[in-house]
Amino acid sequence: VIDMIEKEDPVISEEEAAQYDRQIRLWGLDAQKRLRGSRVLLAGLGGLGAEVAKNLILAGVKGLTLLDHEQVSEESCRAQFLVPVTAQGQNRAKASLERAQNLNPMVKVHADPDRIEDKPDDFFLQFDAVCLTGCSRDLMIRVDQLCSKHNIKVFCGDVYGYYGYMFCNLGQAHNYVEEKPKVVKPSGESNDGPKAKKAKVDPNETTMVKKTASFCTLKEALAVDWTSEKAKAGLKRTPVDYFLLQVLLKFRTDKGRDPDPQSFPEDSQLLRQIRDDVLESLSLNSDLLNDDFISYCFSEMSPVCAVVGGVLGQEVVKALSQRDAPHRNFFFFDGRKGNGVVDYFGPN
Amino acid sequence: MVQLVGSLRKELADSISTCKVLVVGAGGIGCELLKNLVLTGFKNIEVIDLDTIDVSNLNRQFLFQKKHVGKSKAQVAKESALQFCPSANITAYHDSIMNPEYNVEFFRKFMLVMNALDNRAARNHVNRMCLAADIPLIESGTAGYLGQVTVIKKGMTECYECQPKPAQKTFPGCTIRNTPSEPIHCIVWAKYLFNQLFGEEDADQEVSPDTADPEAAWNPEETAARATASDKDGDIKRVSTKEWARSTGYDSVKLFNKLFKDDIMYLLTMDKLWKKRKAPTPLDWHQLENSECPKEGTPASGLKDQQVLDVWGYCQLFQHSVETLRSQLQEKGEGAELVWDKDDPPAMDFVTAAANLRMHIFSMNMKSRFDVKSMAGNIIPAIATTNAVIAGLIVLEGLKILSGELESCRTIFLNKCPNLRKKLLVPCVLDPPSANCYVCASKPEVTVKLNVHKTMVLTLQDKIVKERFGMVAPDVQIEDGKGTILISSEEGETEGNNNKFLSDFGIRNGSRLQADDFLQDYTLLINVLHDLERDVEFEVVGEAPDKAPPPQTNQEEVNSITNGNKDSAQPSTSSKGQHRSGHDLTSHSCYISAKRLSSVSEVELSSR
Repeated sequence: VIDMIEKEDPVISEEEAAQYDRQIRLWGLDAQKRLRGSRVLLAGLGGLGAEVAKNLILAGVKGLTLLDHEQVSEESCRAQFLVPVTAQGQNRAKASLERAQNLNPMVKVHADPDRIEDKPDDFFLQFDAVCLTGCSRDLMIRVDQLCSKHNIKVFCGDVYGYYGYMFCNLGQAHNYVEEKPKVVKPSGESNDGPKAKKAKVDPNETTMVKKTASFCTLKEALAVDWTSEKAKAGLKRTPVDYFLLQVLLKFRTDKGRDPDPQSFPEDSQLLRQIRDDVLESLSLNSDLLNDDFISYCFSEMSPVCAVVGGVLGQEVVKALSQRDAPHRNFFFFDGRKGNGVVDYFGPN
Repeated sequence: MVQLVGSLRKELADSISTCKVLVVGAGGIGCELLKNLVLTGFKNIEVIDLDTIDVSNLNRQFLFQKKHVGKSKAQVAKESALQFCPSANITAYHDSIMNPEYNVEFFRKFMLVMNALDNRAARNHVNRMCLAADIPLIESGTAGYLGQVTVIKKGMTECYECQPKPAQKTFPGCTIRNTPSEPIHCIVWAKYLFNQLFGEEDADQEVSPDTADPEAAWNPEETAARATASDKDGDIKRVSTKEWARSTGYDSVKLFNKLFKDDIMYLLTMDKLWKKRKAPTPLDWHQLENSECPKEGTPASGLKDQQVLDVWGYCQLFQHSVETLRSQLQEKGEGAELVWDKDDPPAMDFVTAAANLRMHIFSMNMKSRFDVKSMAGNIIPAIATTNAVIAGLIVLEGLKILSGELESCRTIFLNKCPNLRKKLLVPCVLDPPSANCYVCASKPEVTVKLNVHKTMVLTLQDKIVKERFGMVAPDVQIEDGKGTILISSEEGETEGNNNKFLSDFGIRNGSRLQADDFLQDYTLLINVLHDLERDVEFEVVGEAPDKAPPPQTNQEEVNSITNGNKDSAQPSTSSKGQHRSGHDLTSHSCYISAKRLSSVSEVELSSR
């Protein structure tokens, strides 16, 4: 009930107006108010997680819970900017808390050191949106299923070296508005003579158009059948990144971790093997995804985290504020080519 | 066997940790960029910014907190970034990159320069410095949801100035003074009025009715007759606006009646103007005061600034702000001048009130203070995520450069929505340098049309060589066999020439001038074309007239919008983000763009 009141709270403080001025001028006051009433769960405070945390905190959500059971390693200090270099051995969520909170004191930031696997179902229900990074495929599928049943927006994302992706499930009927320019028809009459113009309407006046988009589950998105003729025909226009993602998710499931530069030779070999297995299991040609990716998918690259975290963060903002068309339903980034594509995978 | 350090090949990781890079600007893009550089492993970074931190920066310039407001951006950015990697070497300069101290030798220290700027003048300057030093430059810009990144390498790619950029949008004087048709015209008028009353008076910023408006005359002779008539005609032209105001003690009601009643009534006598336009309706202070309706009591359910008042509300705002500004002026003493600043409440109130009253007079819907501030203050909406994406792309391009893979560098556009090929990020191949570029060609040359009898040396220096052609400290000599020096970069040396006309020096049709900027290591040959018929001060031959940008594709529109936030392009651009669906471009039509959304800065009057 408190949340509803705050979402409806008409008053925006002077402090908020001053701080959020430049973004209110972009997405409007209504959107800002909805953000201000939204609670988000962010799982995983690696490189990508830190970027998403920063973006959501700066945007002015009501609350952000940082959930991460991992300990700060030497690598974590270099990978993300919320963890002080002196925090080795500490829990990653807790170590990130202070700097995260300082980004915007108006947001309630909370750190939770638990394993996400151990969280009961109703833990997730307190949030308006859930964002999963560094999670296994099965876990993501499970959480996605649970949350979408309760109208909670679900986002997933990861960065593997130069590559990254984002997925979202905003439910079967996600409502949003789009701002379109207003078309003004001049009327024929006038007091000032037959050719005098009517009072000019500001050419910048716009109107809000209501729209709806529907999304499938992560399970459906990852279980696309490629054996049909139609699917095979569409392969040419299908970003190969989708298959790369399947490979990397399988690696994560099999090894319990992502490819590690310290184990470069073994992990490269395994990646090649998994690539073959995955493509075979999908009845696809093994040359669909060539070997190039192998040496470029290790570790989380900071600039790639920035790009994917920027896109992902903005999608969360859009979904919570219900403004502007969401990307449906995957975004893939290839940092070597500078390519960023949005594509839909799932049942038609 | 490939050796990795984190995500990177060992050779690349090594060169990153030793090379020196320069970041120009520590604002929206700059903060994100510094963070990315440090985390990627860059150890030697220099950052320069002349600005200090403002509260409105805090929604995205995340290296700054509330406690830092007022401090140097470069300095605080350095301190915050060091926290991410205390062993990095970061040098901060609270200074302008256009300071002559940052000469070619300075630039040569770096393997890579990355711009994170918000204005065209600085971008032009850094472009030239990097050409002179032959250092690769990564240029970038953002505006709302849009952004772009590109790479500039001397001899290999287009430079920042190879493609003409749409010039600053200007409005003719008669539109501002006589026949405004859009809110922006009224806002520009109000800013001029501020300067005429409280600030530095400028002959190009007249606010009184323009009697010499060619549109007002039924026949050409009449224009001249009107002009001379008004000279004899009491207070329209003979006394300056400031003098007149002073003579009335800045009486707000007298001011109101002159500006919003008497001057409007004068405009109405110029009846030809109103044959095809809706005529303005004058306001009367006392009439408005007496017919004031009691306010409806509903409290504001949004930002106070987003309310649109009624006419009487703006009358009161006008009165109140005039009184406050009058006191400010008095406090400053004799000969004082105020400088308009969007963040100074009475100055902003004044423009809001005056612009709205004028809008109402000319039958336009009035605007909230929030909207007026956007237009008057050239505010570009900005968010953290767009800057984060662009800064990430900058580093990725930087890595290609440091790996010696310049051919793989691209211009990358960030769209708001995916294009028809599903691309949200659109990489484009870089174009080679333009053979006719007036900056990077081997012997740059331009032709300028002007009237040698009417163009002063000062105009040549300020409006043409500096503003239009981007020189900072020019030396100009005439190619007359004698090397006559017209303009010297040494202060005071050629001041005496300022108010002389070009023809006084024997400059005529076909004359050639050599302009040099020593700091930029740049020489430009200017061919003079004498032209009698001029309604603009000058025109660069080979370009569309400076008011109308060439017709553009969607993607080019994106570029011009993300170009230089402090400069102007579309003054009436909505403050809200606009949807641009870019499409893939072949190499030729990619513009090199720069930073944030262009909007009106100082809108210039094009003189007649």
